[in-house]
Amino acid sequence: MKTGTPIRPGSKTAAEFWRTGRSRTCPVYNMHAHLGDFPSMYVPRADPAGLVHSMDVAGVRMSCFAHRADTMPELGTVPTIEAVRAFPDRLRAYLWVNPHYPDLVARELAEFDGLRDVFVGLKVHPDSHEVPLTDERYRRALEFAEERGLMVLSHTYDGSKFNGPEQVRRTLEKYTSIRFLMGHSLKINWHEAAAVARDHPHAYLELTGVLGQWGAVDILCEEAGSDRMLFGTDLPIYGNHQGIGHLLSADITDKDIHSICHRNAEKLLREAGVRV
Amino acid sequence: MRFFDCNCFIGLPSNAIPRPVATADELLARMDRAGIERALVWHVAQKDYGVPTGNRLLAQAIAGHRDRLTGCWAIMPNQMGELPEPEEFCANMAEAGVRALAAFPRPHNYVLRRESCGPILEAMVARRIPLILPVTSAVGWDAAYALLAEFPDLVCILGNVNTWGTVRFVFPLLEKYAHVCLDISEYILDGGIEAVAERCGARRMLFGTAFPSRPHGGMMLALKHAEISARDRQAVAAGNLERLLREEDL
Repeated sequence: MKTGTPIRPGSKTAAEFWRTGRSRTCPVYNMHAHLGDFPSMYVPRADPAGLVHSMDVAGVRMSCFAHRADTMPELGTVPTIEAVRAFPDRLRAYLWVNPHYPDLVARELAEFDGLRDVFVGLKVHPDSHEVPLTDERYRRALEFAEERGLMVLSHTYDGSKFNGPEQVRRTLEKYTSIRFLMGHSLKINWHEAAAVARDHPHAYLELTGVLGQWGAVDILCEEAGSDRMLFGTDLPIYGNHQGIGHLLSADITDKDIHSICHRNAEKLLREAGVRV
Repeated sequence: MRFFDCNCFIGLPSNAIPRPVATADELLARMDRAGIERALVWHVAQKDYGVPTGNRLLAQAIAGHRDRLTGCWAIMPNQMGELPEPEEFCANMAEAGVRALAAFPRPHNYVLRRESCGPILEAMVARRIPLILPVTSAVGWDAAYALLAEFPDLVCILGNVNTWGTVRFVFPLLEKYAHVCLDISEYILDGGIEAVAERCGARRMLFGTAFPSRPHGGMMLALKHAEISARDRQAVAAGNLERLLREEDL
């Protein structure tokens, strides 16, 4: 057997990750993270300190998360605010919109501008709330994001009637000032995801769940370009190192890896007023 | 670290994946690149085409590479005599460099239990031959639980455990059955390796990749930096699978 840097021979970046778990020259931004309880699973590191610990060991400079409490009228945004303010250099949040509670959404959006140290955008999960992204119940939130040019991280999956290619395309055509982060990149229709990104310069391909399919990153990179791709893992559900290791396995350039891990995220976060 | 991958396959799946690996040579080239020394490999035809043919294709594919590739054949109910009887089947395994077996009851339309597969399962328990269960796609958790209740001493590797919400399915089996191990190829839960090590012991995990469905590097890097002892990391990476194969009495 040949020997060299495991996973990605000849790559200084990979060598750093292999040796120390993190890279001094390639910081990582995890653009798809969460906090809160998860009814369908046990998550060992679901609290803010656990999240930041996982970031530390993998060289993740900042994570942008959506807290499930935002969607619960009984809980609201307090846990989100507390988490970000406990780790102001490491965490930012997407306000998670629950389309079933318009009063809650109105109240949370009304607070948003006063909480720009906490929130960098919105999160929507049409599949779990069973409301199409194009539904009237999302309009107010999307218009709010449009007016401010916010990031909107949406769960997107191929074959879904709530957040499939059709709903994503219609949303991108209607809202052209938002930065639309296609969570999971229309898994598993990678060619369509790349086409959507090509057709819409304000669409970004977020890689949670994508990294685990060998060859998917290569397709997105080739057909949409690495300047449109963002690292994410659903942290603390899926770990940083498995995501980084999967990314390092792709037959793409180290420059692509830098774009995906940090350069694109840094640009978006700067636009959102975050010092990175 | 030395890596011995407990889960990879060769062959062209009926339903395409982005980058299938057709031959053992291609697999070895990618293992070289990643830095993986050995692998327990199965052939996708065992699942997608037919068990006897798939087993034969696998044996042919690894024949020139037995120093690095160890085979995994498939089993199925044998009421119709499609496979040799257990004694001959095990002798054929040994001759072909096959050291583990897998079952795909859902796509192959059977119930994995004593009535259907009793003779081969009894032989596996007696000879400590590992049975790999691709749980999510080909077995189901209820069936895995029922099988282990019926054969509690079966050496069993839980594979294809799905990436989402795995813990509540896996831990009861790890706690109850001493011979059950977890293939970590899809166990990508943050802090998950540490949780198994703490509660059940690192000896219950086997490094796996599910290559070429999944890339090689993810679980390599996750394991390299898992917050467990270096000795435990190496055990998961290769030692535990080597131990299982050492304990086997084909």
